[in-house]
Amino acid sequence: MTVFTVALKYLQGRFVASALTAFSIALGVSLVIASFLLTRGIKDGFIEGTTDYSLVVGAKGSPTQLVLNVLFRMDVATPNILYITYAQLQDDARVEVAVPVALGDAYQGLRYVATTDAYFAAFPWRRKSFTLAVGRFFRDDAPEQPTYEAVLGAATARRTGLRVGDQFYEGEEMAEYPLTVVGILRPTQSADDRAIFLSLASFWGMNEIARKMEVKPLTAVLVRPKRMSDLPSLHREFNIVAETQAVFPSVVLLNIFNLLGLAEEVLTMILGIVAIVVLLYLFVSMYSATLERKREIATMRALGARRTTILSIVLLESCAITAIGGIVGLLGGHGVAYFGAYILAARGGLVTHPFLISALQPLVLGSVILLGTLAGLLPAVLAYRTEVAENLAPFS
Amino acid sequence: MACVPLGLLAYGEEIPRLTFAQLVDSIKAELELTQKIKSYNGKEVEIQGFIIPAGPPDLSFFLLSRVSAMGNYCCEVPVGQDETVYVFTAKGVKIFYDPLRVYKVRGVFEAGMHSDKAYGVSLFRVRQAHVEEAVGAKIFKVGESTTPAANQ
Repeated sequence: MTVFTVALKYLQGRFVASALTAFSIALGVSLVIASFLLTRGIKDGFIEGTTDYSLVVGAKGSPTQLVLNVLFRMDVATPNILYITYAQLQDDARVEVAVPVALGDAYQGLRYVATTDAYFAAFPWRRKSFTLAVGRFFRDDAPEQPTYEAVLGAATARRTGLRVGDQFYEGEEMAEYPLTVVGILRPTQSADDRAIFLSLASFWGMNEIARKMEVKPLTAVLVRPKRMSDLPSLHREFNIVAETQAVFPSVVLLNIFNLLGLAEEVLTMILGIVAIVVLLYLFVSMYSATLERKREIATMRALGARRTTILSIVLLESCAITAIGGIVGLLGGHGVAYFGAYILAARGGLVTHPFLISALQPLVLGSVILLGTLAGLLPAVLAYRTEVAENLAPFS
Repeated sequence: MACVPLGLLAYGEEIPRLTFAQLVDSIKAELELTQKIKSYNGKEVEIQGFIIPAGPPDLSFFLLSRVSAMGNYCCEVPVGQDETVYVFTAKGVKIFYDPLRVYKVRGVFEAGMHSDKAYGVSLFRVRQAHVEEAVGAKIFKVGESTTPAANQ
């Protein structure tokens, strides 16, 4: 009988206790893995879902609200700015591209995003590309002749079941202005997947107040300068006036990451405490098992088993429990991360790569097995030092 | 140990520090640059300034400027390309970003007009850059001088 088979027999002999110990380790590991995968996924979601435009110009107010609403379709829309802000930016010699965006109501919770074809254009500096899975882009129609054509993001088409040629509206007052689906975009792994794109003319035509306005409203303008070094001066000019603010999207996201970083630190502390509790549980379980087995160990020693063999059996048992718990925990953690990402996505959040394999998984598994084995060290030493004569003596 | 500059530890010799004042002084007519600033081309340098995150939020690219982009430039107007360095970082910049904090950027320096597909035309660049907070840093303007060692 080898050391392995003895350790296995011991585990089988205490199946319920061993299974519960492995399960508690699995829960702890799941918690660690799911927390780190989701935190990293949320951060990656923001990085991948952000815009290639360097500046967002919108109404005065919260920069975070402006960026979250215009780029990630979260939060409520900021107040309107006037079309002349866009015209001003378009005529500015420092600006390469200015894209107007107007955000308003939603259809089944999916936001209407009115813009021009520049929003989808492929520029050499763009990482993000928009391609159609089916149909065509909406016409860049004149304000007095809105065509009410819509292009759906991939997730919008999936969730609403709308197809090219379908007409839709939400609310009785919109019945007069139904939108017709003319195209469906391929997935972009950004908030644009959950949008309904239409022309500015259609958007203004659908909006009772905008219809009557001579100078039409917009929510924001996305700006790309010819020279990056001109950004600070553009940023200043649109910030010092009373009506508008200019925001670097990355500044807002870095502030969000700073907050996420603080939450991550707190989470790491909590997870550290969880790890200590789980290891203590393992230690107590192994220690009581060793105390229970003193007589068996003494018998093995009397039959010729070496002290190191006894030490190896207990360490191997501890190592096996942590390895099983660790592997189950890894799988469970990925499952929790998957459902977490699914729930967040359904609520408008963006989580990418919830299953990304990196140094995290082997590091967590290796650490768990090492610490688990160490937790079994003291019980193993206790078994190692078991005296044969003392423990083989009759009970009475 | 903590007081020894990183450059000393990593390279055995001190990395030269360039200031924005030196960058401005190096520009001649028609955006030509002095031989002195060109002599740093391809060499490891250190520049301190404010980060303007003009690129993606992973800070793989950003502008390093003498003036912070926050606070609506209450004290100073924004600077142009003469006092802006385009920074391309080595992978994995991990800093607690603060728009009002001065950062120390170390990397391979490039001087001269260059057009980049993603970020357009620039005059000064630092590539493979590493970023860290500059504790107790001072940003030098034109007309001010750094310590004699830093000016050499």
